[in-house]
Amino acid sequence: MPEFIREFIDKIKFIYLGDSRYLKLIEGFTNTLKITAGALVVGIIIGIVIAAVRSSYDKNKESLKLRGGIGYHILKVFNAICQLYLTVIRGTPVVVQLMISYFVIFAASDNGVMVGIFAFGLNSGAYVAEIFRAGIMSVDPGQFEAGRSLGFNYIKTMRYIIIPQMFKAVLPTLLNEFIALLKETSVAGYVGVMDLTKAGNIIAGRTFEYFVPLFTVALTYLVCVIVLTSLVSRLERRLRKSDR
Amino acid sequence: MTDNVLIKVQDLKKYYNGEDVKALDGISCEISKGEVIVVIGPSGSGKSTFLRSLNLLEIPTGGHIFFEGTDITDRKTDINVHRQKMGMVFQHFNLFPNMTVLKNMTIAPVKLLGADKAEAEKKARELLARVGLEDRADAYPSQLSGGQKQRVAIVRALCMSPDVMLFDEPTSALDPEMVGEVLDVMKELANEGMTMVVVTHEMGFAKEVGTRVLFMDEGKILEEGTPDKIFNNPENPRLKDFLSKVLI
Repeated sequence: MPEFIREFIDKIKFIYLGDSRYLKLIEGFTNTLKITAGALVVGIIIGIVIAAVRSSYDKNKESLKLRGGIGYHILKVFNAICQLYLTVIRGTPVVVQLMISYFVIFAASDNGVMVGIFAFGLNSGAYVAEIFRAGIMSVDPGQFEAGRSLGFNYIKTMRYIIIPQMFKAVLPTLLNEFIALLKETSVAGYVGVMDLTKAGNIIAGRTFEYFVPLFTVALTYLVCVIVLTSLVSRLERRLRKSDR
Repeated sequence: MTDNVLIKVQDLKKYYNGEDVKALDGISCEISKGEVIVVIGPSGSGKSTFLRSLNLLEIPTGGHIFFEGTDITDRKTDINVHRQKMGMVFQHFNLFPNMTVLKNMTIAPVKLLGADKAEAEKKARELLARVGLEDRADAYPSQLSGGQKQRVAIVRALCMSPDVMLFDEPTSALDPEMVGEVLDVMKELANEGMTMVVVTHEMGFAKEVGTRVLFMDEGKILEEGTPDKIFNNPENPRLKDFLSKVLI
């Protein structure tokens, strides 16, 4: 074995095995996955609710006005709240939102992962909402009428008819959002959460070796993204079964 | 006669932009069980708006619609319950593209009526057989021809066992050679005594199957009567003009 390879392997052994530093990396990676997965779920739930409110307001305001009653006013208030949320979340940096969540809103808690899920979920929800809304609006209005004419109420039409079709239409865009989310969680270290990036940074700081830890971190993100992409393209193929 | 009335429309109005556009300008009529009402008229006459008002896909600006004795234009009425009894067939089929033919047909009975899945599928297959599509149960809508899609759309509505079927230009989006197969299904349905309201440009169908023809223009019913009267002895000048252009 050439000298330089053996030196390199020794270096890696020193970096990761010394002081069991590899445990830091594992902990960081686990936290990154936890935050991403949690934020994903929170984001999708927020996204569906907001997209449903916003698109039903856009689609139904005329007919609701005609039918009278308070339905129109309730929807209008909800729509305004959603609008405000979207403006604030999309108008401020995610790091700032994360710091406000950790140091102000949840100042009493030191569970960084939970705060991370909250902050990134809230942030992601705003983007997912707009993706879903575009998806809902892209489904042929005839689909909606067919659902209603069979006797499905508004919510059931959404649930059984529109949202499954919407998912298929937005899957690629949604994937982009997930990839962005995964990488965005790398700023979690700002509030002291031991995520993958932070772990790499700490190991680098302790060993004065930057090349190996940082490339390990980069490679880990890359592999995650590749796995995610291939999973979604497999799902997409399955959903496309109905397209002939 | 009166207790036979299925749908009663009173002074139905649909205005857009205040009173600028009068899509429906005071429509009144009664539809009895077993009738096949054919609505004809030039484009923009309001016939589709009228049909779509019957199950409130269009919300009228004024007037009342009574379906089986209930005022469905009343805000307190749960329209979804009544829509289950009013089947609708659209010009562009509006089949659910992400579901198989069978799923298209069973989703409403299963989710809305709480029907047993196997039971609903059995009924769906029977209906499919009646329209000659028993072998397409597992196909997706994109794998069907236009005529097949429309036949599926008809039996999808029938799966809910409706009391009336509303047809909104069911053959207008079809290739000419596929019109016949859809009209045949509709004829058969009419012969079985289904109450039907059909907006169409197929004058042959109106003559042969219709029990009553409504001629609409500018949001009003200008003339109504048996097919024989409408096509052979039209009185309204607008109707005469219309027939002279479409019939040959």
